[in-house]
Amino acid sequence: MATRTTVPFGPQHPVLPEPVQLRITYEDEKVVEVVPVIGYGQRGIEKACELNEYNKNIYLCERVCGICSYQHSESVVLATEQLWPLDIPPRTKFLRTIWAEMARTHSHLLWLGLFADAFGYESMFLQFWRIREKVLDILEQTAGHRVIQSVNVVGGVRRDIDEAQKKTVIDTLNVVRRESDDLVNVLINDYTVKSRTVGVGVMTKAQAMALGCVGPTLRGSGVSEDARLTKYSAYGELNYEPIVETAGDCYARMKVRARELFQAIDLQMEALSKLPEGEIAIKVKGGPPANETVARTEAPRGELYYYAKGNGTRHLERMKIRTPTFANLPAVLILLPGCQLADVPVNIHSLDPCISCTER
Amino acid sequence: MALMLPTILRNFFGGPATRMYPVQVREPFENARGHVTFNDDKCFLCGLCATKCPSEAISIDKEKRLLTFYPARCIVCEVCALACPGDAIDMVFKWRAPFYHKPVEVHESRGKRPRTPM
Amino acid sequence: MENIIQITKNDIVNEGKKLLDAGAKFVTAVCNDLDEKLEVTYFFSANRGVDLTCLRYTVGKDEEVPSLTGTTLSTLLIENEMKELFGLKVKDLAIDYGGHLMLAHDSPTTPMLKPKKAEAESKGEI
Ligand code: SF4
Ligand code: SF4
Repeated sequence: MATRTTVPFGPQHPVLPEPVQLRITYEDEKVVEVVPVIGYGQRGIEKACELNEYNKNIYLCERVCGICSYQHSESVVLATEQLWPLDIPPRTKFLRTIWAEMARTHSHLLWLGLFADAFGYESMFLQFWRIREKVLDILEQTAGHRVIQSVNVVGGVRRDIDEAQKKTVIDTLNVVRRESDDLVNVLINDYTVKSRTVGVGVMTKAQAMALGCVGPTLRGSGVSEDARLTKYSAYGELNYEPIVETAGDCYARMKVRARELFQAIDLQMEALSKLPEGEIAIKVKGGPPANETVARTEAPRGELYYYAKGNGTRHLERMKIRTPTFANLPAVLILLPGCQLADVPVNIHSLDPCISCTER
Repeated sequence: MALMLPTILRNFFGGPATRMYPVQVREPFENARGHVTFNDDKCFLCGLCATKCPSEAISIDKEKRLLTFYPARCIVCEVCALACPGDAIDMVFKWRAPFYHKPVEVHESRGKRPRTPM
Repeated sequence: MENIIQITKNDIVNEGKKLLDAGAKFVTAVCNDLDEKLEVTYFFSANRGVDLTCLRYTVGKDEEVPSLTGTTLSTLLIENEMKELFGLKVKDLAIDYGGHLMLAHDSPTTPMLKPKKAEAESKGEI
């Protein structure tokens, strides 16, 4: 009989970008059992949201996650606006959509690089990050900052995209599309990449639904589900249909994200061409009334849930943040058992884990 | 390898993606937010910036006419600059040396409240 | 928020199972501190994630409540979290982190509970 060994994988581990510990029990080289342990980065942001004034929450919640920070600020303003509810000008909605897709572009480029790194393709990692730099530059030009854009306020946005910036954005996106096209072609068709990802970590449609997975992890298993279908912001006016792959393995999840990268660029182009004229913000007085609501947005890693409850003052009664990785983490209970030790990093990365935002 | 060839060729003949940093400095973008600087001649201590700042980086002493700013707490969000009625706060995009200690800036405000009601 | 179904705590397993069997997906659960009681809301989404249904029950702070982890593992983390941060007494968890999912051994206990109104008044804070 093979001996069983329990090895802590993380919280400090070369392939893990963030602190999660997986207590993995191996039988020889094979994983038989796994328990995910989090709690290394809990910051109590939900509690702080109750103590802060509602418009200071935006800057706090943006820092829940460093990569999907834009979607966090969008969700928190959407949740607060829905408490009234406020009527947001159409131009604002389009601007929010454009920045959201820009954030998705840079997040997916980051992930494709990290994923390549997870199976040891380090030069691919650097190539993707080099392209990502261009996206960060256009974010800085239009929104004012590379990563923490701080561009949303309750009632609107603070920056506008004028004609000159529009042209820069379109030009840059064209370059990004051309360069990522070459690299994604390698990832999708290369023999070595395929041999490391095809058939690894298979999760069926039923399993993914039962575990409550979200985002590309769910769509990689053949479920066509996306928060953008709820038509928040300007998604109702854009031509949007979720991207689905049916295989449910690491390769399928990678393919979903690679195709979403190009879809995000298309959505930005479409939104830019349809950008209506008008106001970008409305004046807001007083605090949100006593009411409760849910805001759902699609962050790059999956569906982001904000539950907000007001009480008529400038402080919220309760703010609950459910981040995508919080929903995706139970998937390791299915993905890891039965796989080889060497495939553990690939499996974990295929979920695009973001642990610090899981713990908030 | 064959699939990677176009990228390899482009990287081989194209220039470097990086800059020789201290020699070549990229100009900041026009729209980018920078560090907060105060114009003491314009500030009239209304206190709006201190109330609105999400990270409590500004505190105000109306009696001594002092405005204290803690740069290490500032998250460069631009809320104070947009809120200031006296136009006393600028966001300047300039390289700044890293802090060894958390600095405290004390400003003596000399501005006059504008006569027109806001 | 529409589609809130008020239930009692003992129905949560059955009602949740019914929704899940009908093709819904568990989203999350939210716990609210209502001073004397705790209000727990489970969210389920259906129809490609567009429709939300909520199951809501209210319990006293020292009552035990059943866990949905016997039916679906997706509630594992959130039920552990509610147990830690609100002191909601969830029994029969599939994996019980014993109060150390989010918190460390020297963290404050049940940090998300609000100060009780009666106590705050007696201290003169309101
Ligand atoms: S800097 Fe501006 S906002 Fe702040 S106290 Fe002075 S005048 Fe008021
Ligand atoms: S930029 Fe933001 S954080 Fe910094 S002082 Fe102004 S309001 Fe405060």
